[in-house]
Amino acid sequence: MKIKLLFFATLRDAAGGRALDFELKPEATVGDLLERLGETHPRLAPHLESSLVSVNKEYAPAETVLSEGDEVALFPPVSGG
Amino acid sequence: MAGLLNHFAVTEEQLDLNALLAGITRDSTGAAAIFTGMVRGRSSRPGFPAETNYLEYEAYVPMAEEKMRQVAGEIRERWPDVEGIAIVQRIGVLYPRTPTVLIACTAAHRDTGVFEAARYGIDRLKQIVPIWKKEVGPGGAEWIQGDHRPSPGVD
Repeated sequence: MKIKLLFFATLRDAAGGRALDFELKPEATVGDLLERLGETHPRLAPHLESSLVSVNKEYAPAETVLSEGDEVALFPPVSGG
Repeated sequence: MAGLLNHFAVTEEQLDLNALLAGITRDSTGAAAIFTGMVRGRSSRPGFPAETNYLEYEAYVPMAEEKMRQVAGEIRERWPDVEGIAIVQRIGVLYPRTPTVLIACTAAHRDTGVFEAARYGIDRLKQIVPIWKKEVGPGGAEWIQGDHRPSPGVD
């Protein structure tokens, strides 16, 4: 299945881009995605453990099961204001 | 209450404090607490660069606006007398002395929790609304990292 990845702040710098279509096996979890990303994008690997993940604009834990077409964003703890 | 008086935005435009206040004012509101944050040019806070040329903000805009709505909902649960809530974050390159964020709450009068509500709003924005800033100074550029890790399902 295909999902849409978005990167912000430090994660965008490490990814070298803002968005990416990513292929995953059906019923993969957020945890599976992070593991896979570390393999396919080694420059992201050092940032993945501390990054926050949202699925369809809601914070999501590692055990969240992903679906075709989900919008998944990776970013560091927020610093607005 | 006839409809919720809410205004949430992430914008590249200058914050117009008068217009934002007018947007959450109605005949019944006699008090507003307005918090706005500006870019500091100099800082003596430990861990922060002493001098800032500018800050560069970015946001995950659709999620940021949803999380602003959530923060407003939390404010209304805690301070039901609050009538109007505006939460606005400016993004892009912002120089010292420039207002970057506005949280304003209106109510019938000042003893309704409006001060605490605005304080709560800025604190929660800094915890859960997906916005980031990069500080650029004489020593180079550095992303400012927050320290809150939202609990999914709660935050």
